[in-house]
Parts: sequence; structure tokens; C-alpha cells
Amino acid sequence: MLLIKQTPDSPWTPILLNCLRPSQVPIYISYLYINYLYINETNKMKLPTLGSLALLSLLPSACLAQSQHTSNWAVLVSTSRFWFNYRHLANVLSMYRTVKRLGIPDSQIILMLSDDVACNPRNTFPGTVYNNADRAIDLYGDNIEVDYRGYEVTVENFIRLLTDRVPPDTPRSKRLLTDDRSNIFIYMTGHGGNEFLKFQDAEEISAFDIADAFQQMFEKKRYNEMLFMIDTCQANTMYSKFYSPNILATGSSELDQSSYSHHADNDVGVAVIDRYTYFNLEYLETHVKNASSKHTLADLFSSYDPVKIASTPGIRTDLFRRNLSEVLITDFLGNVQNVEVDGDGMILDEDLLALARSAGYNITEQEWKDAMTGGYHEKTQEERDNVVGEQRTWEGPARVHRDSESDFWRNVMSAGAVGVCFVGYWVFSMIDKV
Amino acid sequence: MTLLFARSHQWLISPSLKIFSRLLTLLIILTLSGNVVVADTYKEKLDLQPLSGQFLLASFNFQSHGPIEAFNKQMFQLFPRSLGQILQYTHTRELHLRFALGRWDSELWGAQPGDGQNAGGTGVETWAWVEADNDVEAEARWTSLNNALSGLFCASLNFIDSTRTIRPVMSFNPTGDYPTTNTSRLFLLHGSLPKEPVCTENLTPFLKLLPCKGKSGISTLLDGHKLFDASFQSMSIDVRPICSPHTGTCDIEIQQTIDMVLDISRSLQRKDSPVPRPRDQHELICDTSKPYASNEYCYPMDNSIDLPWSLSDLFGRTISGGCPFAIKIPTEETQHVCIHAPENKLKTMETLELAAPAPTEGQPDLKCYVLRENLPFDLSFPKQQPPISPLRQEPLLYAERSFTGHGQEHGGVKTVLRNPNPNDPVEVVYLESLPWFMKPYLHTFKAQVLPAFDGEADVISELYYRPALDRKRGTQLEAKLVVPPNSVVILTYDFEKAVLRYTEYPPDANRGFDVASAIITIPPHRQGSDGKIIPATSIRTTSLLLSLPTPDFSMPYNVIIFTSTIMALAFGSIFNLLVRRFVAVDEVQRVDLKGKIRGLLGRLKKGKTE
Repeated sequence: MLLIKQTPDSPWTPILLNCLRPSQVPIYISYLYINYLYINETNKMKLPTLGSLALLSLLPSACLAQSQHTSNWAVLVSTSRFWFNYRHLANVLSMYRTVKRLGIPDSQIILMLSDDVACNPRNTFPGTVYNNADRAIDLYGDNIEVDYRGYEVTVENFIRLLTDRVPPDTPRSKRLLTDDRSNIFIYMTGHGGNEFLKFQDAEEISAFDIADAFQQMFEKKRYNEMLFMIDTCQANTMYSKFYSPNILATGSSELDQSSYSHHADNDVGVAVIDRYTYFNLEYLETHVKNASSKHTLADLFSSYDPVKIASTPGIRTDLFRRNLSEVLITDFLGNVQNVEVDGDGMILDEDLLALARSAGYNITEQEWKDAMTGGYHEKTQEERDNVVGEQRTWEGPARVHRDSESDFWRNVMSAGAVGVCFVGYWVFSMIDKV
Repeated sequence: MTLLFARSHQWLISPSLKIFSRLLTLLIILTLSGNVVVADTYKEKLDLQPLSGQFLLASFNFQSHGPIEAFNKQMFQLFPRSLGQILQYTHTRELHLRFALGRWDSELWGAQPGDGQNAGGTGVETWAWVEADNDVEAEARWTSLNNALSGLFCASLNFIDSTRTIRPVMSFNPTGDYPTTNTSRLFLLHGSLPKEPVCTENLTPFLKLLPCKGKSGISTLLDGHKLFDASFQSMSIDVRPICSPHTGTCDIEIQQTIDMVLDISRSLQRKDSPVPRPRDQHELICDTSKPYASNEYCYPMDNSIDLPWSLSDLFGRTISGGCPFAIKIPTEETQHVCIHAPENKLKTMETLELAAPAPTEGQPDLKCYVLRENLPFDLSFPKQQPPISPLRQEPLLYAERSFTGHGQEHGGVKTVLRNPNPNDPVEVVYLESLPWFMKPYLHTFKAQVLPAFDGEADVISELYYRPALDRKRGTQLEAKLVVPPNSVVILTYDFEKAVLRYTEYPPDANRGFDVASAIITIPPHRQGSDGKIIPATSIRTTSLLLSLPTPDFSMPYNVIIFTSTIMALAFGSIFNLLVRRFVAVDEVQRVDLKGKIRGLLGRLKKGKTE
């Protein structure tokens, strides 16, 4: 990371920072060739022709070193009970369909459905859940595995699942068996408010609970990167308390904004999907056709239109260390995995390091190794202070509510109120004396 | 093993590879012909039976056998590995698992298929014989069995804890054979979850246990949309060891069944329009036999017309050929699809000419077919003029259970058992498993016989009772009684409702709490009048919905509001007392602004003049 900051325009950036995209490969090869010619001309160093071939063969291993995840997991949670919250189950099942479509197997999807709407006696279409009034896609389908259902969907079980503090007899299908190379996609939907989300209409999970659970996951090395997506009223407040690294969060609406449903199906009799999820799905269904899609999260987030969604979706990137335009959607929603080869896989790194040095880049061996293995770079206090201002939301005014701002005014207001009372009391007592 | 593997691929791969697969199979058969390969056997059968009122009963049965030695060595052939490993890990010798939805209407449909042995109470019901050294170990294994099954079948079976577990004494007997196991080491445990919904996520793992995974054979008809649209449906899984008395060798048997009762007119209507809507007036068939029928008004005939149907109409698809495992070794008894209907009705029936009829000796009201690999099968049943009343088997006993009484504190349960047989009494075992918060008074447990009969006091011959302990275990009530011929026995008892703690209420407490079905077992016996042997039969009543006194869940907020009000009042008055100075009226110094101003002015004037 340090290296990249020092030489932002370095030719090594594509290797060091992230994988080359296929479209960049020819450019890169020609670049190497020019470089090679230049080296030969200046006679600084005689690089054997094999060396440049070796360089090319090194590209995939550089990719391995950078996009670190070796497995993809999804935790999809609907938290609402009762038939009138049909749309929340449809939201979650739409996401289930999407991640399954993009290749995540059932064994790596934890699906939490808080109520049974598919076989509910009020459902006109038994065994089906639709997310659109055209009823083109049956989300329940023929092959579905629900891991937690009904009364099992509780705050306790959710936190236990995330932190893997489960009872001894818990079957594998009910556990999140991730490691520090797993990318996790967490999707939640339900009824919420400022810094809380209701479960089953009976209990709440607070933003602090989730933030602490994520920190515990980080400490236990249970994830590599995490995408947290939430569709509920005042959703952006739910991720405002996160403080663990490598979490990218997005929500449907900011503080004091409601999230709305998209449309209702008259035959089902209730709303079938929420707006934010609907437009997410619209993008995913029309653009991300398969697991080899090269669309990035920046593309997805820039597709959000607050007018259509009727609330201001938010994105929090300050905890995330990659640039969104380089993060593929399939890094989280798909099952594109990299094979991790034992050993450091850097057989030719001495050649490459020598080449880099000969090209005029002043790199120490340690910096090189760090950049190649892509080890987690602990931020210093200074760096952390720098990124506070980066906590941004998409499209202008959508800002995440933060304590430091509002508390000041709240304190001023309350101090003012106390002051007014005190002054009033004093004035009246004075009049009394007179 | 390899043989099966190769064959199992025949229906998965593309036609171009099929020839290769056949060759491979042949090769393997040739190479293995020297050794004796003991392979698992697999049977599947679909029984169709029209019931009265335009209902069709479809019973699917899938059964596989394999040597128990191989099972114990974890060499699974057709036995599903996922389930086999769970059973071995938890030392479960015999397992019965039931998922059911809807009510079997015995008044209309008659006796349940398979003598009710495959039916379960509403929701999920499971019982098992677990091998263990003592009670504690058995319970621990039972808990881990339920947890593992909950993961496998996507059901909340992990909620079967000590409060929902009972140990019946008379109702259940092992159906398997245990020649080597000491029966005192076998523990029977029974649990039920009446609230549990049954849906596609339970059917998916059910189908995955089958050798053909729902991709070929009769299981292709099992579509969640049709199954859960049925008026009644029940899924069962039974695993048990079976020993041959002649050779002494033992097999492990897994039997999976699905019984569903389809409403033919509803299913046919779904085919035309997915949304059930009222019929147009011109589509209605009016019942003109009624004395009040007239030309002005139509009294529609409901479900009494004899609609023509076919398998593809009802299930939305045809059977896509036989399952390769089920047609591997055809014997004379092999039957894949059978239909039971009056003889003259069967004659007009049509099939896709792609299945061979199977012999059915001496049974004119039965017609069976043998499926062929990769050849689809359909069966169409024409409209009958005039409609013929279908075959109906009178059940041994009718049972109904309901709540009596009123109020939030007490209640009663009334069970009506009716024996329709004019000659023979029926001996039954009645079992109830009640939640701990429903506390029956045993002294009120009474049996009344109608019409009155001399030996009324002896109706109940045995009674087992295990009282509930709050939050630890539920009540178990098991009674053996005799229902005299052509009479009714009414069992009644009163109970008290417990008040739960605030956090013990489920999110939808106002809906009520489900009480599991009562299980009525009729042991195998020989009928006195005609000497006919009646196999063991079981009947489930419907589950009950108990409404408990539920608190106002917004109470904490009310408490906060009231407390705040009281605090405000108290604070206000104390504050007043502390701050105010109480004086007599005449002691009050009058604040005379006018006088003061006058005085000030006077002083000013004085000053000026001076």
C-alpha cells in the first residue's frame, strides 16, 4: 500500500494494486515490451528474453496475491413476521435467487426467513413467493434450503451465527463456516428505525450490536471483506457504528427517511417488493448476467437514483481499502474464487524486483513482499483521522448520521433549555422579592 | 457400487454419451460377474385412488433395502449418506419422521391409506429408538439427532427439547427387528411440533434422499406447487432394521411416503387460470334435483360432478420414465403406478402407450403399470356417465377433539371416539402430549359411553400419566380404553392455563399456542365376528389452538409513562412546598406599584426643589 502511494503512476500499479482486467492485458504486454527495449537500449541491464516471459507468467500469481478471497458466503436475513410483510421475504428471496444464480451454493448461503409466506394459508399461490406483479419468477422454486425459519430468526441466533458461538449440536447448514479468506455478503431487511432493526415484531438489534459482532468476526479472522446491505427505514444509521476494517456498507435510506415498497400485486393482496431492493435487482438482473461479469460495485452504486428509490441510499466506504471501481460485484454476490497455492508463489520475484529497481523505482525488499502478499495494512492514527471525512453517501445530501455532529447541537439545545429554565426561575424569584 | 454409479449416470447425461455409458455398464457387469455383489434394492410405487367428492388420493411410496453390515461400515449405496451418518452418529436404530398439513376427512374419504401408519399429526412429528446406556445418554443423543435433522430437513426440529419430548409406554412398538440388541438399551423418544409449517424447503431435502432425486420415476410428479395446494398432504420417512427369519441376515430399510389428497376441480381450474376465481355463471352446473330449484336461481353443484382428469393435468407434468434403480431387476410383482377404481370405470381409462400393464390377479378394481426407462407415462381418466361412487373403506374409528369451557384461566378438552362397527368393540390407546403451560386435572379425566352401557366404569383399563414440571417437561397422558360396538366414547378432562413470563411469549402470542394432535393407536387384533386380522392402525386428531392469557405487550411503555407522571406530580408538589413561603393573607406586603412610583416621583420632586 505504501509503495503505491509513493508511486501512484508506477507501471507496477496494475500488478500491485489489483488484477489486470482482460482488456488491459495487451496494453500491459506492449508496455513490458517497450520497457524491455528501453532497458536493452540503455544497457543498464541485460534481461534475458525468458525473463519477460516469466514476468507474464507472473501476472496470475499477482492476481492471487491481491484479490484475496477464496470463498464466498451470503447471509440473507428477513426479520419481519406476519403476512403483511410479504415483501420483506420477497426481498430476501430475490437476493437468494441472485446469489444462487451467480454461483454461491446453498451450503454457503445462510437464509433466515422469519415467517412462512410460501405455504401461508393466505397465499393464493401455494408454494410460491413472487417479487413482481407480473409473476414471471417464482422465487421459492423447486429447490430451496431455508436454514433458519420462523421463531428461529432471533437477534440471539443472528449474533451467534455471525460470531460462531453456537450450541454444540448445531448442524453445519446453520453455521457460518468462514475464515479470513471469505468474502461475506450480508443482506438484511425488515422494519427499522434510528440505529435499530426490529426482529419478529418482538425485539430489536441495534447498530452497536451489529458493529460489535463484526468486530468480533474481524478479531476471530472470520472474514476477508464484507458487503453489508440493508433495506429498512433509516437504514443508513444501521451501519454508522461499524468500526471494523474491510467492511463496505450500503443502505436504502438515511436518518429520518422511510424506505418504501415498490408496488403491490392485487392477487397476492400485499406489496411484493421494496424500492431499494427492486432497483438493486433491476441492475443485477440486467447487467450482471453471469458470474464472469466485470461490473463493479461503483457501477451498481452509481445506478441508484434517489428519485426512483424515493429515499437517499447511502454508501460507507471509509472502512474499505479498495477503490469501488475495482471491486467486482461478483466479489461478493458471486462465487468467483481464486485458488490459493501453498507457499508464497513468488518464484520469480527476485527477477521482477530487479527489473523494477532497474527501471528506477526505489523499492526495499520488505515493501515489495508486503505489496505482493497484500497483507493487511494497519492504519495509523493519522491515517484514520484523514479518512473520517470520507464517510460519504451517494448523490449529495445522503450523509450518515454521526454522533459528533448532532451531539454538539443537541448539547447546545439542552444546555440552552436548562439555561432558560434557570433564568426564568431567577427572574420570577427576583420579582417575588421586589 | 461402481455398477450403480455408472447406471445412475444414464439418465443424467446427454444422449451421445448414453451409448458409452451402456458399454461401460456392460463392461462393469462382465468384470463383476465373477464376484457376488450384494446390491441395495429399490422399489417405488404410486397408488391413485379417486375418493368421494371429487378428491383424488395419490400415495407415493419409495423403499430401499440394503445389507446392514455395509451400512454399519458406512458403505452407502442407495441409502442416503447424509441421513445414514446422522443415524450412526446418534446411535439411532429406528427413526420415524412425519410432516403433515391439512386434515384427513375420514367422514368423506374413509380410512387413511396404509392404516394411518404413515400419517403424522399436523406439523412435524418424530419418534425414534435410540440405543444408549442410560436415560441421560439417550436424551443427549436424541437432542443431537433432532439438531442434525433440523439442518437436513430445514425444519425447526431443534425446538424439540425436554418440554416437547415424551416417552410413550403403550402407543408405539418398534417395527424393526433387533436380534442382537438388548432391548433394555433401546430408548423410545417422541417429539412433536404442531406449529411447524411444512413447505417446499422440506420437500427439497426429502426428494434429495431418493436415489433418483425427483428427476425420474414417479417422484417427477412431486412438485411443491401442487403438493402444497392439496387438501391434505403428509410426508413420512421411516428407517428400520429388518431381519430375515430364515437366513438371519439383516437389512436396513428406508421407506419414504407421500400421501396427498388433490381437489380435482381446484387443480384443473389452476391449469386454466393460476388465480382461483369464482366461475362464470354460464360455467356453473346447477343442481336441479333440489326441491327449491328454479330457473331463476342456480344452486351450483359443488364437487359432485365427475370431472375427467389426467396426471399431466393434475400434476402439471407427466412421469418422465422409470427410475433406473426401480426398473433394474423387474420381477413379477413390480408395479410402478396403480389405480384403484370401480371395474367399469377402469375400462374406459386411457394411458400413453408407453408402459406395460402389470398383472393384477383377482383384483378387478385395480389396474397397474410398469414404467420404462426414458419413456414418459401419462394416464387419463375420462368423465363417467353416470358418476360412480368410488371405493371407500370404513375406518375402524372416528376421532375428534376440541376445547370446551371459556375464560382465561381454565378450560376443558373433549375427545369423541366413535366406533362404526356394529359387532366388534375396538381397543385403543389414547396418547396426549400437552405443553407444560396446559395443566390437566387428572381427577376430572372421565369417559362417558353413549348409548349408556353396563361396564362403563371399565372403559378405561390402563392409564399412564406424567405430570408437567414448569419449563422442564410437558404432560404425558396415555390411556388404554375400549370403544364398544356402534357406540361413542367421550373423554373429557379439565385443565388450568399457566401464566407465562413476559419473555416466554412468542412474537405472535395472540394467535394462540398449538397443542399437538392426540395419537390414537389400535393394536393389531383379530375381529371377533369374522376372524379377520386387523393390522396396527393409528389415527391422529387435529391439533388444537390454545389461547393463553396474554399480557399487554406495550405494558413497559405504559409503566414508564405512569411512573413518569407520578414522579412529575410528586416532584412538583415537593418542589412547591420547599420553595414557597406560606404566610397569612393579612401579613402579605402589598406590592403597590402606584404608591412606589408615586413615592419615587415625590422623592425626585423633593430633590429638584432642594
